[in-house]
Amino acid sequence: MAEAAGATPLLPGLPDEITIGEILVRLPPKPLLRCRAVSPAWRRATSARDFLLSHHARQSALPLLYSHKDVADGGQSLDVTLFDHRAGVAAATDQFQRIARLKAVPLEGGIEDGSFTPLFYPVASCDGLLLLSIECDLCICNPETQQYAPLEQLDGFMTVGFYLHPPTGQYRLLLYHETDQRAVYVFSIGSNQPPRHIGRPDPLAGHGLLFRGSLHWHTGNWIMAFDTTTESFRQIRSPVAREDYGQLFAMGDMLGIFFLNDEKTAIDIWVMKDYQGEVWAFKCRVELPVAEIRDHCQNSSHIDEVMVVNGDGELLVLVGFEDWLFQVDSDGKLIASFHARGLPSYNIVHKQSLVQHTFFPTLEGYVINDSPFI
Amino acid sequence: MATREAGKKMIMLKSPDGMEFEVEEAVAMESQTIRKMIEDDCADTAILIPNINSKILSRVIEYCNKHVPTTGATGAAASDTVAPAALAEDLKIWDAEFIKVNRATRFDLIQAASYLNIKGLLDLTSQTTIDTISDNSLEEIRSFLSTKNDYLPEEEQTIRRENQWAFQ
Repeated sequence: MAEAAGATPLLPGLPDEITIGEILVRLPPKPLLRCRAVSPAWRRATSARDFLLSHHARQSALPLLYSHKDVADGGQSLDVTLFDHRAGVAAATDQFQRIARLKAVPLEGGIEDGSFTPLFYPVASCDGLLLLSIECDLCICNPETQQYAPLEQLDGFMTVGFYLHPPTGQYRLLLYHETDQRAVYVFSIGSNQPPRHIGRPDPLAGHGLLFRGSLHWHTGNWIMAFDTTTESFRQIRSPVAREDYGQLFAMGDMLGIFFLNDEKTAIDIWVMKDYQGEVWAFKCRVELPVAEIRDHCQNSSHIDEVMVVNGDGELLVLVGFEDWLFQVDSDGKLIASFHARGLPSYNIVHKQSLVQHTFFPTLEGYVINDSPFI
Repeated sequence: MATREAGKKMIMLKSPDGMEFEVEEAVAMESQTIRKMIEDDCADTAILIPNINSKILSRVIEYCNKHVPTTGATGAAASDTVAPAALAEDLKIWDAEFIKVNRATRFDLIQAASYLNIKGLLDLTSQTTIDTISDNSLEEIRSFLSTKNDYLPEEEQTIRRENQWAFQ
């Protein structure tokens, strides 16, 4: 096996640096993993950390959808699907890629059949790592490497942020305790230290959007930003003073925010033209095709699950209603509808990664290629 | 090829086998490598393109000619009246014809596109190989690579088990 290294090119007729840097790095995660079984040389090339980092960097951040599905042996699984909304991805089957299916171990003492299976929900995504909740507990997984571990030591804490701390390379959670929403703590995944109190910002709602090295939350009149390197908070101007919460999203290299109106029929979208100068510009109002959507579902209740994503520089609106997903363009025109493919969740976008992290094996209850993945 | 418009700045590209190609600057600048040379003023009268023979270089120029933004470009004479979607469709058909070459030529084109940093050409030329690797079984990939299976059966089993979801 040793003589194979360097002697034979990975792809006869191409220098290895081109094969690795231009071909292998463009493979989707699944075929890339299969390549490891081609030969020991291919395995080495596709397992190197630098290679996996550049592979991750090339992946697109795609809207994450989730759904709960009945599974054969009882209970429901969480299905996590990425929606590739970009032009050029033609067939509807290609647009939806299920990246994980997880089912918890049933607990005894359910109401009907004596056992009860708690449900997983997606919470946040960072560098290909997915934070999930189950009952009141948190767990972390990487769907691409099929690694999973529960996060202990977090009883009574709620999470509002998930980020990489660049100075240490640690993945960290920003938390508050349910008894006091204004006291914020930091927890390093894989460390044995309990959450550490770091400050009292404005109350943070929902999960922070990672953008330009800071997590961002809309808190009503302000946007709170948390610098992931210095781990300190600052306030940024919000485009409009409003009581209700806007949802933040990344529009390429611009920060965006949208507000759903009270009637749940339209969204106002703003983008930050100048991040340093905190200059906002009104982008557009999108009248949602509410009548069409209600007609489609034979249901006249309010829409409440709306996500705005960046599709090749164009804004794209996703509306979840019952178990339908509607794709709406920036003119409010209904582009496509999909049934039972999953719903958006808090504007989570996910960027697949095969990079291995050292913290996983240190976590108690760590598994790979095993339950709860099914 | 249609006639060149007057007044365009021209650039001379030379292949190592001594052939010279006169191309519009805009066409040459489809290559980010050449663009940088021109912008840094490193290009006087002629640019030598090392490692790319005249056969491959002429195909690369053919590609850039077709893909240079349409104002004043040859080949897309009716661009004023044709909708962008139709133009994109026309380019797609043209690309599909362009890439109907044998593997050795395709690999040469990949290397040329990589050296010259022409993203569209790199996407186009590498896609066939990516599809081959993505869509075929391990045995088919090995036969495409003309490589034999260096794994012991139990080693291969371990690797399949480690990455089992990819084989489902």
